[in-house]
Amino acid sequence: MSVSPGRSAGGTAVADRSPSPEAVPSLSITGLRKSFPGRTVLAGLDLRIPARGLVAVLGANGSGKSTALRCVVGLEQPDGGSIRLHGEEIVGLSGRELARRRSRAAMIFQKIHLVQRRTVLDNVCAGALGRLPLRHSLVPALFPRELREEAMECLHRVGLADRAGDTVGRLSGGQQQRVAVARALCQRADVVLADEPVAALDPAAATQVLELLSDLARGQGLAVAAVLHQPELARRYADRVVGLARGRLAFDTAPEHLSERDLDDLYAAGEGAS
Amino acid sequence: MTWDTRGPAAGDPFTPDRGSGLAAVAAGNPGERRGAVPGPPPRRRSPSALGAAVVTVLVALHVLAWQGTGFSPADLVRGWRGMADFIGEAIPPDLSWPVLGPGIQAALVTLYIGLLGTTFSVPFALVLAVLGARTTAPNRWIYQAARSLLSFLRAVPDVVFALIFVTAVGLGPFAGVLALIFHNTGVMGKLWSEAMEEIDLGPRDALRTNGAGGVQVVAHAILPAVVPQFIGLLLYRFDVNVRSSLVLGLVGAGGIGFLVNQSIKLFRFDQMATHLLIVLVLVIGVDLLSAAVRRRITV
Ligand SMILES: Nc1ncnc2c1ncn2[C@@H]1O[C@H](COP(=O)(O)OP(=O)(O)O)[C@@H](O)[C@H]1O
Ligand SMILES: [Mg+2]
Repeated sequence: MSVSPGRSAGGTAVADRSPSPEAVPSLSITGLRKSFPGRTVLAGLDLRIPARGLVAVLGANGSGKSTALRCVVGLEQPDGGSIRLHGEEIVGLSGRELARRRSRAAMIFQKIHLVQRRTVLDNVCAGALGRLPLRHSLVPALFPRELREEAMECLHRVGLADRAGDTVGRLSGGQQQRVAVARALCQRADVVLADEPVAALDPAAATQVLELLSDLARGQGLAVAAVLHQPELARRYADRVVGLARGRLAFDTAPEHLSERDLDDLYAAGEGAS
Repeated sequence: MTWDTRGPAAGDPFTPDRGSGLAAVAAGNPGERRGAVPGPPPRRRSPSALGAAVVTVLVALHVLAWQGTGFSPADLVRGWRGMADFIGEAIPPDLSWPVLGPGIQAALVTLYIGLLGTTFSVPFALVLAVLGARTTAPNRWIYQAARSLLSFLRAVPDVVFALIFVTAVGLGPFAGVLALIFHNTGVMGKLWSEAMEEIDLGPRDALRTNGAGGVQVVAHAILPAVVPQFIGLLLYRFDVNVRSSLVLGLVGAGGIGFLVNQSIKLFRFDQMATHLLIVLVLVIGVDLLSAAVRRRITV
């Protein structure tokens, strides 16, 4: 595998850090544990997302897929285990150093979570808030010119540069999800965690979003993990498929080796748990 | 991440699910006991006994209140002559320019007091609302402190603030402005913090994962979601504050309330009637304006 084309600053940085990108996965989760009162959700989860490519994450409802991703981006606090982004541990860290290490992982949500009343461009710019001082970010009017240009470039990569000035509410669901991807790009993330990104979209929009994600993963060297509900989509778009059952890794396989038995076991395990 | 919020705001529409959950548990206990032994139906003694007790206490309270306030319809009837004199003197109102001109000017002052009192309370209300909303508070201690301060400012009536500031800065509209700033900060801060607690938290979480700080999250995820509610509440408070500033005038804080008070003291009820007419026009005007704007925002 060659050095990433360097379209994103993050992609280049991965190559700088390690001579062989495949040696260090972009995201490496080991023995991750998380319980909510009365319920263990992650029971020692191991998960590896390689530096380039799309990993589909399958699992029954409640198997802990969302919780695992939320632990990585800091929306949940893990009870134990290890999460490494580009080889750097983030569990147990806090403050600036944690923010710095985590800044290269972005999350895409099923419910998209854009700010509806703001323009597409302002929403994409918001991806950069973590690296902007307050004097350049208190209101969108203060966003620096270079940031706007970078955001336009991100919008171009998701094919929505012509909608930059529109209010988000005027876009379709699929378009909004692509804006969310652009926001992640503007964050300069090279690890993109997508939690059921197409579950709320119609098939055509779902195809577009997944094609975009797999293009970013294969063509532009991002590490993408996408929770999917349909194994067919996983077979079609993923470079690797992992299954979660009861908070543990059930399998990690190439899509062409994904068997019906794997799937039956996976979803049967989910029923057993609930 | 969320924490319990038991405090001065017991009646808040905070966590309806939790409230109903507690109610369900409370109601469920006797039911379970009954269900354990299928037998005679439960007696309905307690609800009606409780009801009777409540009614008795309420009636007793009203009797005490009747006596305590010297409530006396007979006095009102006996005093009809005084009322008639009063109305007779008030009608027709003195609409001569020497009365009308200063009246209109004073009404403008009243409007200005309401305007400045509302506008200058915005920054304070905003800060306290952000610190006092569960969705945006940095931690529970700051949250509790902000809530307490808002409760205090809300609990002290603006008239009391006005009396305090009249002694500090002297008679006049400035004392009224200060009084409104303080009281309105308390009321609007609470209304705004409630508006912020009701929004969808998804965009907030999304920006947090972007690495945005607390102020950035408020500026780019929370506030954009509540701007229409904020403006609506602001206009509503402006409306209320203009009417309040009238009362503040009665205690010496300038404006047309001051003239009403003066004309009563001088027994010039015809002038008082003029002033009240001006007040009526002012209040209706502000009310119509703010209602019209609010309707445009919400639609
Ligand atoms: N904040 C929370 N508090 C309590 N339980 C939670 C919380 N978040 C998730 N859970 C529980 O954890 C389990 C796993 O949830 P989740 O990670 O969302 O599963 P998945 O995304 O695989 O469907 C579910 O049973 C859910 O009810
Ligand atoms: Mg989920």
